Amino acid sequence: MNGLNLIEDFDKIKYGMELFLKPPEFSVGTTPSEIIYTEDKMKLLHYIPTVEKPHQVPILIVYALVNRYYILDLQPDKSVIKKLLEEGFDVYVIDWGYPSGADRYLTLDDYVNGYINNAVDNIKERSGLDKITLLGVCQGGTFSVMYAAQHPENVQNLVTLVAPVDFDTDKGILNLWAKSLDVDKIVDFYGIVPGDFLNSGFLLLDPFRLMIDKYVGMFDRIECKPDDTTCQIRNEEYVKNFLRMEKWIFDSPDQAGETFRQFMKDCYQKNLLIKNEMKLNGTKINLKNITMPLLNVMAEFDHLVPNDSSKPLSNAVSSTDKETLVFPTGHIGIFVGSKSQKEVCPKISAWLKPRSLLNGKAEEKTASANIELPEPAKEKKIEQKRKNRRSKVNKK
Amino acid sequence: MSESDGLNMEKSNFESTQEFFDQWLNTYKATMGKLVEMPSVGPAREKSEKMMKGFSTFANLYAAGLDTSSNFQTVFMEAMRKVQEKTAPDMKGEISPEKYKEFYNTWIETYSETFKDFSKSGHFVSDMGKLNSCLMDFQIYNRQMLEENYLKPMNLPTKTEIDEINKELYSLKKTVKELKSQIKELKEKK
Repeated sequence: MNGLNLIEDFDKIKYGMELFLKPPEFSVGTTPSEIIYTEDKMKLLHYIPTVEKPHQVPILIVYALVNRYYILDLQPDKSVIKKLLEEGFDVYVIDWGYPSGADRYLTLDDYVNGYINNAVDNIKERSGLDKITLLGVCQGGTFSVMYAAQHPENVQNLVTLVAPVDFDTDKGILNLWAKSLDVDKIVDFYGIVPGDFLNSGFLLLDPFRLMIDKYVGMFDRIECKPDDTTCQIRNEEYVKNFLRMEKWIFDSPDQAGETFRQFMKDCYQKNLLIKNEMKLNGTKINLKNITMPLLNVMAEFDHLVPNDSSKPLSNAVSSTDKETLVFPTGHIGIFVGSKSQKEVCPKISAWLKPRSLLNGKAEEKTASANIELPEPAKEKKIEQKRKNRRSKVNKK
Repeated sequence: MSESDGLNMEKSNFESTQEFFDQWLNTYKATMGKLVEMPSVGPAREKSEKMMKGFSTFANLYAAGLDTSSNFQTVFMEAMRKVQEKTAPDMKGEISPEKYKEFYNTWIETYSETFKDFSKSGHFVSDMGKLNSCLMDFQIYNRQMLEENYLKPMNLPTKTEIDEINKELYSLKKTVKELKSQIKELKEKK
């Protein structure tokens, strides 16, 4: 029996090596999209709607500067973006790109009041609406909070996903480490702070699991049933997904130095945002300006952004329509874990749907009452715009 | 190995290396350190003063590095002690593949947890902060020396000059964006 186990273990390594010698082709971020606006390295992507008539208020997803937005569209069967499209939303996402030396002087204000604001303006213009839904993820959630506080007139709903706002907590290792970092020296030396520098910090959070056990676990999950095609397909699919995640983890863009400097000092070291003392280009960010509906989503076992760092947002804003959701998952699991598709996305969709209508009209209410309301002229105009766009995309 | 052979492995731990280094560093600061920080004179005054500063920058980095290594060493020893405690009873008798897997699981779990506890400690946080700060000082110093002693004499562009251009470019781009936005607003008003 013991001998058999040993042979099985060797077989797993052998099959694993065979799979790696002929690596399966894989891709990330495959949900069809078009680039509708570019500015410097930033691109605004619009995902092709998959329903005939999407919910009226579009969603703009703002991701963090660390790592890439496609974690939300990592693989076709675990894609937050695809799920939102299937739920009938019109989805946009900001791709920050890869900053280079020329971007070292970009400030936090440039990101929030420049790029995000221009992306919002663009979507407003295309949709013919005055407000959009902002869905901010991780550091992108913090940026979205800053934006919503400074431009509440542009935001219909604010959804924050694992977003830190109160940095004065000892529950997160990053929060502890950040306090002792001499950020000025780091920025002064690097200019553009290397993604690898930050990645080495993330790996240090749990080096034995992240640098050894993860890879041992990968080989351990390989199944060894010779001549079993179904099993081989399963193995190949597993390795593909493993490689997708591996690509995402180490696909870390460098950080614009001045933005990194302000974010680390004002947020992580001085915790100014939650105290309403943080400034962007001289203007204070007052979280009390946030009056729109707020959905604050957290992961219970988040090792990067502890719940203590996200929860205080709900009390810091003036919104009366606000809800907090905590899912029993981790910082990454909330996007790609088993709960993501089954619980997280459906709950966000359910919260957003009644709030994604013009003039507060409840689509569901209308539908359930089975009354056909006359479409206002504005809505007809928007629909015509959408049709025109769709036909343009199809032609391409 | 007996003491009469001149070796006592029990006493030869990392702490003694650390103590030796601390003594060396204190001696260095009191003697050579003072010497290299002495004000330079003569035509090459500026250059030699800057070059001398490199010694203390390196000494600081080396000291911080040794502190960090020493702490890592202690954590590894502590983790190994815990693993040994947990696995010793099970490792008696025949060693089977199942036991090997159990051993691996205990090893990874114990090391992971011990290291996580250590990484949350104030000790680790201040050590890493200090090491990082010394490393940045050393890198900044190295770049300055490279620029002044090699790139400038060779008439090659330096990072400092490229940064100046980048700053100017950033400022110009920002102005263009603002002007474009103002033009757009004016057009819309018309």
